[in-house]
Formats: sequence, structure tokens, C-alpha cells
Amino acid sequence: MNVILAVKQYVSKMIEGCGGGMKVLLMDKETTSIVSMVYAQSEILQKEVYLFERIDSSGRETMKHLNCIAFLRPTKENVELLAQELRYPKYGLYFIYFSNVISKQDVKILAEADDQEVVREVQEFYGDYIAVNPHLFSLNIVGCSQSLNWVPAHLSRTVQGLTSVLLSLKKCPMIRYQNSSEMARKLAESVRQVINKEAALFEFRKTDVAPVLMILDRRDDAVTPLLNQWTYQAMVHELLGINNNRISLANVQGITKDLQEVVLSAEHDEFYANNMYMNFGEIGSNIKELMEEFQKKSKSQAKVESIQDMKSFVENYPQFKKMSGAVAKHVTVVGELSRLVGAHTLLEVSETEQEIACSGDHSALLQKIRALVANEKVRQVDMLRLVMLYALRYESHSNNDLSGLKEALRRRGVAEEFRGMVESILDYGGRRGRGSDLFGNQDPVAITKRLLKGLKGVENVYTQHKPLLITTLDQLIKGKLKEAAYPYLGTSQLKDRPQDVIVFMIGGCTYEEALAVHLLNRSTPGVRIVLGGTTVHNSKTFLQEVSMATRGMGERR
Amino acid sequence: MAAIQAEIIEGFLCPMCMKDFGTVTQLQHHFEDAHNAEDKAVFQQLKGFFDKAKKKIMGDKETNPFMEQSVSTAGDSGLGAVISGFDPSWWEPQELGATRSHIDLCKAIRGARVDHFVVETNKLLIRLDKLLAPDAPTEPKRRKAFEMSVVRWVPDKEVPACMTCVRPFGFMTRRHHCRLCGGVICNKCSQFLTHAFAQKLVNPAFAFEGEGFLKRSSSDTSINSLSLMSPEGEQHMRLCKVCRQLLERRDSMAEQRNTKPPIVQLYEKMKMCIEEAESILQQYLPMVDCLSQGETVYSYRDAMILRTKIVKLYEAIDQLSKRILQYGLNLDPPPNIKQLKLQKAIRMYASNFMQDNLMGLQNLPTEEEVKRLQDIRKADIQRKIAAERQAAMDAQERERIQREKDLSAFSSPFDSPSKSDSNPKSLGHRRQESAGSLGRGWKPEGETSNASRIADPMLQQMEIIRGYVRQAKQAQKFDEVAMLEQNLRDLQLEYTRQRQAGNDS
Repeated sequence: MNVILAVKQYVSKMIEGCGGGMKVLLMDKETTSIVSMVYAQSEILQKEVYLFERIDSSGRETMKHLNCIAFLRPTKENVELLAQELRYPKYGLYFIYFSNVISKQDVKILAEADDQEVVREVQEFYGDYIAVNPHLFSLNIVGCSQSLNWVPAHLSRTVQGLTSVLLSLKKCPMIRYQNSSEMARKLAESVRQVINKEAALFEFRKTDVAPVLMILDRRDDAVTPLLNQWTYQAMVHELLGINNNRISLANVQGITKDLQEVVLSAEHDEFYANNMYMNFGEIGSNIKELMEEFQKKSKSQAKVESIQDMKSFVENYPQFKKMSGAVAKHVTVVGELSRLVGAHTLLEVSETEQEIACSGDHSALLQKIRALVANEKVRQVDMLRLVMLYALRYESHSNNDLSGLKEALRRRGVAEEFRGMVESILDYGGRRGRGSDLFGNQDPVAITKRLLKGLKGVENVYTQHKPLLITTLDQLIKGKLKEAAYPYLGTSQLKDRPQDVIVFMIGGCTYEEALAVHLLNRSTPGVRIVLGGTTVHNSKTFLQEVSMATRGMGERR
Repeated sequence: MAAIQAEIIEGFLCPMCMKDFGTVTQLQHHFEDAHNAEDKAVFQQLKGFFDKAKKKIMGDKETNPFMEQSVSTAGDSGLGAVISGFDPSWWEPQELGATRSHIDLCKAIRGARVDHFVVETNKLLIRLDKLLAPDAPTEPKRRKAFEMSVVRWVPDKEVPACMTCVRPFGFMTRRHHCRLCGGVICNKCSQFLTHAFAQKLVNPAFAFEGEGFLKRSSSDTSINSLSLMSPEGEQHMRLCKVCRQLLERRDSMAEQRNTKPPIVQLYEKMKMCIEEAESILQQYLPMVDCLSQGETVYSYRDAMILRTKIVKLYEAIDQLSKRILQYGLNLDPPPNIKQLKLQKAIRMYASNFMQDNLMGLQNLPTEEEVKRLQDIRKADIQRKIAAERQAAMDAQERERIQREKDLSAFSSPFDSPSKSDSNPKSLGHRRQESAGSLGRGWKPEGETSNASRIADPMLQQMEIIRGYVRQAKQAQKFDEVAMLEQNLRDLQLEYTRQRQAGNDS
């Protein structure tokens, strides 16, 4: 149940299957992302793959002495392009791998184009998703719904992605879905259909306890993606944006050219792997340690006097070079993060956000929000998020002053279209859209818990909030999840507690949830959870998601 | 002429009735229907012949679609071990995800199409071979008759228009025949195969350079259809477009199979060096480890030789990869961007390999150092042995005393329940105890003082150890057994030594 490993094994197998000699890897736009998430270029180079080409690029030259590994999604365009390529082959031999199920018709098109007999392999390797972390995958779809229902193209891509995850992990699951969500039901049924249609593919060794595929809807918890995050990975995504492990630093002042875009991959960057789930404060001290170690080393390298020094320099050189790269990268990233935090008083904002989400007294919070909205240093987007959170939390509060806050936003010059988002978020994730008790208002246990917490005080005001997903998964693992709210698709039900769980969040998950799943995996031996989403959100992409999902609904008001 | 025709008839002939059938399948059906009653063996023979012919035809190309490919099934060992990431350790290794292959379907569809090409091409080659025969007539009139005997020329009146461009024939557009398929084409659509290229097609060993087909100079100065010579004095043959394409397809496939561009040759050399270096490294590294620990399993000279070999290989790899990097830079035209990118990537691959291995290549200690290390180790080992022996003796002595005490308490220690169920664990423990007494020194016991009371303490001791050996054997603790037996031998040696010493004094 490691999605990174699953995709990596597929890619390794492709390269092995091609034998020795010089190789070129032919990909499309999506498979390029898929491969780049699991293999560093230098790593793949050591397997004699020397060129990387896009099938839709026109500038490819004929090089018959290269063998070609084609890893493509089975789209119509790709099949056509590939057939064209085979009629006039540019490379010696072709080993073709599709990332998902391909029709017999398409195979025929390819076979008929292959008069030169260059095709050696046509296979389906189900790496049709972006593996972000070992327990986290994404499909990079922002805006999967319109008028709160599936965009058909995105539904079919999601079904493909989700079934390929199942195939790559060799799981034929029982499916549960969130009853309050029409989209979840539809996706669950579509996945079931594919499993039935390709029954032969889904015949795996039976395990004692069947795996569970749990399909959830983002609309049940619209709060999590609106909050500021304070763990390294989540924070970088929130403030700088992670796109396929890449972070653009081009906007940072005085950045050197080679740092304009950096890669943060836990697979290849030890510091990142060790610190991705650390809090901002801890990272500060860790990076200081890293710096000191680096300085110690670079100082000892600096005085290269004796031959012994020289030798040790040469011996340490590759490591040293690697280290200096990592130091420069992380120092820049963390530096930029702390600059942003300071400039926009994000600590203060975050504290208020957390209070809105977790506890707090209405009138005191209203005061705080008003003060922050009036604060010159606070970014417009942060104000908007505060008001949106307020709207979600106090949707049915008798004294809620949403109109006053919206007016305050207007006075600060927030554009009409953004102010409209406050309504949109209520359409998207408001009371009517939710199936569960997000704020713990109804459940007496949750209420007492909250009261107790209020008495005891909290450990860290910036990380009080726990995503709803934790509660759902916790109940699922304990076998207490209500059948009515999360029914099984079909008649069979799981008698035991589940062991292998794949959770999929329609509308995107967040790194906060990824961390939660990571911790859950660690703390509950015997249970393995993989989290996926149509994308991995930060607040910016989530606002896009919401605005796309509710587009055209404004007229109703 | 007639004799030749009688000798070689082409087509799918029935060996019984010499009738020509269009395709393999038709012939097979005919044979099964018409000659069913005849000897089964002949049928088998025929089938075998076809299989062989088929193989020969297919084997002529680079690919052999009838051979099962086994490349893809190469082992996927080691994949499970390549687990990277931050903390996947709490999940067990994972097997490769599901896969599904479509290559059989693909081959079946492709095979049907490609068979057609192969059959057609082979027909053309047979005819081409006949036309090129050294005894073929060259005198125009006889030549034409000969050419018409090789393939039936489609009669002029059957073809009102060019078979390629569909222009009607008339006074201005004359009819021409393709010499390989007999089809009728106009002059514009004619292709001219040079004699030299034709030779090469028929005989792959034939050296050939230059263009395979003549360029048409202009429509006015049409190449004389009857003469064998072009205006430039080159021998040629008129063909239609379809035949040209078939021949060219075959030629390019043969070409690709038989030639290796220089860059590939360089690359293969480099790869060989890398593989050799890797295999030597595997021998070398444990050698260095041993030598630097002062062990004497490997000789210093051998390690030195391996080291020189590796360094030489690295130099070769470096040189070759540099040559690859610079290959073709001064050629005209220079290689394209992708080619340069490829060359750069190969160089990077080589330097990565060297960096990973050469940088970590441990230096051998110098010869003196090795000597010194070995001496140290020898002394060390000797010290250890001595210490062990001492400890053993010490322990035995204490055990003896203990046993004497036991003896006074119990009549027989081996019969008592507490001893008989003493498991090997307690034995091991005892051994550790004795090891703990290391360094307390060994006091030689005056055996004479005890000799009067007990026959001989050492002999007694040996008896005890023998008892322990028996117990350990019963418990199947063979490492204990080995240890105890070693003790026993030491004891025996010591005993004889003391006896001799006693006798001497």
C-alpha cells in the first residue's frame, strides 16, 4: 500500500523490459508528471534512459539507435499520435505501455500502423495517478464539479485514476461512500462498474479482511482547506504552492537563477523527508543545525593545506555538493516562509482562524475578525478566508453579522467577485450540503469534549483544529462508522475491522489531512490507509474549486 | 529458355499435381482435400517445408513475430528492496501492481498484414535474381522476350490507363512495363532500379554505395525503355512504384539490422568497460576490507593488480565517454540537437558512475602497513587464544572445586534431577561465567597434593566435560558441543604436557 513504490515499480519494470542499450522515454503531458514524481532524472539516467520526449512535440529527430519506451495515457489523441509515429518510426524498437485499460480497437489501430514491425511490447501498467507521498495520491484536477455535480470528463478521469490505484496496489475493495453526497454515490457506482467489467483484472489473492474504498466529499468539511498550515509541507503548499513536487521561488527577491524553481521530494531529499511533517518552529531549529553542520564541513574544507585535507575533500565531495545544494534550497524556502508569515501577520490570523474552527465565543471572535479585516498588513485573501470561516461556523447563529463583515470587506476594497465567495462557500459547504456534524454541535460527547478542552487550554493555538477526516477514519477503523451515513455499495458488508483502507476525497484533500493519515498509520499497527483526492488543495486552489463548483448558482439567490 | 522455365516455377505449387495456388492457405486446403488419401508423410513433409520456408522468410527480417519474446519477463528481483521515502518501513515490501499484455493481439493483427508484404517481396526477389543472372541475354530483342518469360507482362490492350496515376495512354503517353510485376505504367510513373542496387538486394554481401534508384533527369530525356543503359551509362531496370516501395522496405530493414552507427559502437565499448569494472569492484572491495583489518586471506599483490585494473578501466570509460560527448562536433552537417543531448546524457551517466564508485574507491594500505596490520592482528589473536585458554582453565578449576563440593552433597551429580534437566541454556550461562573470570589469572594447581585424594583432577575434569558434551548433544546444541570439545582437547593437551613436565622433574 505504497503508491510511490507502486508507480516506481511500474517504471522500473518498463525500463528493465526494454533490455540494455540507449533508451528514450516517450511520454505525454500527464505521464511526464506521473514519472517525475517517483523518479529523479539522475536516477533514471543510471538506467540508460538518456532522452525524455513528449509524444506531442514536433521537434523530435530520427534516432534509430535508440529504443523507445512509450508510457502514455490511453487517450484517442495519444493512440493516433502513436500510430502515426509507428508508420514512420523515429526510433529502433518500441515498447508501449498504457497507463490504463485500452480498447481492442485501439490496439488494432496500432498493430495496423506497425508495418515496420518495430513494436515489441504493448502492455497496460496502471500508473495512472500522481503519487505524492507513499500514502497520498492526487489526480491534479482542480474544479471537478459544476453546479455541485460532476463534470463528465472529470468523472471519467477520476474513475480511471481510482481504478488504476486499486490495480497498482492489487486491491479489489468493498466500496463505501458518503450518503449525503450525490457525487460520491455516482463515483462509487462508476468504480464498481469498471470492476465488474474488468473482473478478470481485479482477481487478486483473497485477503482475510477485504480492503475498503471509502469515497468522501470535500463539501462535508470545507473548513480544513481554508486554514493556514504550520507543518513544513502544508505550509510550503499554502504559501508558495507545490506543483508536482516543484516550487517556484521566482517571486522571491534577489533569488539566484538556479533557485528559481526548486524540487522538494521526500524520495530524494533527506532533510525534507525528515522535516516535512515538522512544525514551523522545529524546522527553524533543524535548519539551523543543518547550517551549522554545513559550516563546520565547509570550514574544514576551506583550509585545504595538506594532501590529507585534499583527499578528504575529494572523498566528501559528492556528499558535500549535495549538501550545499540542500542547504541553499531549504534556507531560501524557510526564509521566504518566515518573511511571508511576518509581513502578513499570519500568526495572528491563524490563531483567529483556529478559534473560529474549534471553539470560541461569538462576540469576542467577531471583534477579532473585525480588527483583522481593518489591519493594513493582512492580505485580502486572508480576510476573505476569515469571513468565510465565520460564515460556515455561525451560519445559523441568531446574532451573526455576516452582512457587516461583508461590508467591511467592501470597504477594504475586496472585489465583488471575491465577496461573492462568502455565499458560494455556504452553497458549497454550508449546513445544507453537509452530511455530518462538522463543528460538533449536536453530539453531546463532542460538546463536552470541547468544553473540557476549553477548561484545560490547548497545547498549540495554531494547531488546535483536527480535520473531520480523522473522526471519520477513526470510527471506520473501530468499526463504528454509521451505516446510514456511509453505506456500502452492494449487499456485502465488512464484518471485521478494516485493515487496508483507501480514502478518496472528491473535491480534493489537503496536506493537513495527509499528515493526519500519516499519524494514523503510525499509531494504529495493522491498519494501512492511503489518502487520495481529485487534487491536493491549498486555500487558493480550494477557492477556485468552490467558485467553479458553484458557478451559475448565484442567479438563484 | 524452356528448360529454365521448367526448372523453376514460382508460386504456391502443389507438389503432387504441380498446380499453382494463390496463397498458402488455398494450397493447404487443396492438398488436404485432393491428396488426403495419399501418404500422410508427404503431407507432414510439406507442412514442415512450409514452416521452414515461413521461418526463413520471417527470419530474413529483423523481427521474428513467431518467436515468443521473453525479454519482458526478465527478473524483477531487487525491486522490492528499492524502497525509498521517509518512512515506508511500517509497510511490508510490495509486489508489482497488476499488468495486462496486448502484444499477442497486436502481433496477430500485424502478422496478417506483414505476411502479405513478405510474400510479395520474396516473389520480386526471385524474379530479380533471374533477371540478373549472368547468362541472361543482353541483346534488346532477346532480352525483352527473356524479361517477359520471367513475369507475365500485362497485355497492352487490357490497360487503358496508367496503373499508378490513372492517366489514359495515347499517342503522347506510352505504355511501359514494370520488369518485376509486369504491370503497365506510364513513363512518368516509372522508377529505375540501378543494377548495383539490384545486386545488393539479391546478395546482401554485395558492397554497395550511392543511390538505389536513378533520379529522373527530366520528362523529355526519358530513359530508353529498351536499353539496359541510362544516358549516364549506368545499368538500370524499370519498375513500378509499388515494387520500389517493397524493395526499399526490405532494404532499410536489412540495413538497420546489419549496421551499427559509430556512436553505438563507442557506447557498447563503454558499457563493456563499466560492466567489467563493476564485476572487478565486487572482488576488490572485500579484499581491501580484509587487508586493512590485517587478515591474510588475500594477498596484497592480487589486490594491487585489481586496483590497477580498475583504475585503467575508469580511464577507458572516461576517454570513451568523452569521445561520445564530442562525437560528430566537427562533422558537416553537425549532429542535431537531440543527438547532442543524448551524447551529453551519456557522458553524465559515465561521470555519475565514476563519481559513485571512484570517489569511494578505498585506497589500499601500503605494503608496510599491511605487514604491520597483520602483525598486530596476529599478536591480537594469539593474545585472545591465550586469554581464552586461561579462562577455560580457570573455569574448569572452579568447576572442579564446585564439583567436589557437590560430590560431598550429592552422591552423583548426573543422577540428581536438578542436573539431569539442566538445559543447554544453563551450560551456555556457565561458559559465560567462566569468561567473566577472564584476567583473574591461572594458578597452577599442585596436582600432587590432590593426587592422593582423587585419582587426577584433570582426568576428572575431562570426565565432567565429556558429560556436558553428552548433555549438549542430547539437547542438540551443536555449537556448545563444538566449544566443549575444544575445551576437552585443550585439557588433554595440557594434561599430557603436565605429565611430561612431571616426569621430567
